[in-house]
Amino acid sequence: MIEIKNITKKYPGQKIPALSGVNLKIESGEFFGLLGPNGAGKTTMIKLLATLLIPNEGEITVDGERLARSNSNIKRKLSMVTQEYSLRGNMTPEQIMELHGRLYQIPKNVIRERSAELLDFCSLGEHRTKICRQLSGGMKRKLMLSRGLLTAPEILILDEPTVGLDPFARRQMWDLLKQLNDKGMTILLTTHYIDEAQYLCRRIALIDKGKTDRVASPRKLIDDLGATAVDEFDGSHTKSSFFAAREEALHFAGELDNEFVIRSTTLEDVFVTLIGRKLEGK
Amino acid sequence: MGIATAIWEKWIEFKYEWKKITAAALVSPVLYMIALGWGLGSMTRVTDRPYIDFLVPGLIAMCTMNNSFSAVATALNVQRIFEHSFEQIIISPTSLPQYVLGQAIGGALRGMYSGLLVLLISLPFGIGIRVTPAFFLVMFLNGVAFGALGVLAAILANTHADVGRFSTFVITPMTFLCNTLFPLNRIPGAIQLAIRFLPLTHASSQLRGISYGEPVSLLSLGVLAAYAALFVGLSIFFVNKRKNL
Repeated sequence: MIEIKNITKKYPGQKIPALSGVNLKIESGEFFGLLGPNGAGKTTMIKLLATLLIPNEGEITVDGERLARSNSNIKRKLSMVTQEYSLRGNMTPEQIMELHGRLYQIPKNVIRERSAELLDFCSLGEHRTKICRQLSGGMKRKLMLSRGLLTAPEILILDEPTVGLDPFARRQMWDLLKQLNDKGMTILLTTHYIDEAQYLCRRIALIDKGKTDRVASPRKLIDDLGATAVDEFDGSHTKSSFFAAREEALHFAGELDNEFVIRSTTLEDVFVTLIGRKLEGK
Repeated sequence: MGIATAIWEKWIEFKYEWKKITAAALVSPVLYMIALGWGLGSMTRVTDRPYIDFLVPGLIAMCTMNNSFSAVATALNVQRIFEHSFEQIIISPTSLPQYVLGQAIGGALRGMYSGLLVLLISLPFGIGIRVTPAFFLVMFLNGVAFGALGVLAAILANTHADVGRFSTFVITPMTFLCNTLFPLNRIPGAIQLAIRFLPLTHASSQLRGISYGEPVSLLSLGVLAAYAALFVGLSIFFVNKRKNL
């Protein structure tokens, strides 16, 4: 279990902290999502989990042990796929996998075996001796995921892992992540693709301006807003209204003069509504 | 394990770019040898020896320093700020002290490679210098010290330009002042005293002493080892403690 306890992180020279008193618990085997607008503090949270940043206050524990740069015991359980292409430009996929395996003290024969499997699985087998700089963005993403899985981690941290992937590759990655989670891997995901979070995550934390807004399952978040949505177009704007029951929505729509659409509420509605309210100062 | 991994990483870097690395390592010593050795040097002698005999050990010390420093500082800074691949090192369970030491040793080996190139290209200049195992030991200690300083610069720098500035303010003055191109006793007293404390002064004086057939100074070896330990220690401290890597 990952416990994030009262974490505050302030960057030098900035008045407002990037994260302020954040508390979260991520159970073992959970698929957990962090959702929030740009600058909400998601990447800061991921970097704290990676120990790239050290919090000003609070602590993170993994299975009861305090996470620190020097704590190899915990770090062995973690693997991370970062938002940026964190690859050595002048190394080949094979060398990148070998470097990663060496960093985790995996025996050479195991590195070779697993690398070949993972690179083939991610359709990178024929590119394994190309210099990384020559790979496409999608290939680099797949390589980063392969690298993340090389160490068979207990906890996989994914920061926007499907950015730059085509829809087919994105679905392929979703399937893979589902399979890994089904086998017991704890996965922490941040994404801008809300459909991705809705499809994959069992629980989601909405994070905004450095604070957690709510933490619940996608279903619960949607039900709290209202499971049925009515979109009304008044000629210049689309206004959405949400209702717990479909009958209420139908009754409301029946009284509208403008064009309307009745549909199921999505997680994106929750996101837009909650974040939108904050932006409007409501 | 972390030491071997870092050295392996430096080897892969070298393997990929060895031609460029070799060519770049040759340019400035060749120019120094032509301009100062053949040109100005032909008109002067130092301690009753041809100036080129004085110059070459200084150049070897200088090139070992420059290349050890830049092989680590530039590469690690690019990995940290531009490629973000350094993140994977921090996240991994590899011991960071071991990794830092491995980087410093990897940098030292790159520095020694450039020092050996200087030795090779000095042959056609007809110099008479003696090379012993102690000569390589001095090159290695000098390389570890400046390789570790390279780690420190890469970790403390907030931008790529900061590494360049660090080099301008720390490495470049040593290049010219530390008993490399002219004898230290030509510098006024107080400044001379300050320069005597710098690591490159000890590296160049030792390399020159060995090449002249003089005994090795244990004090200078100790000073170089102390600088290496200090820079490795500081690098480990900042890699572990810096709040925003």
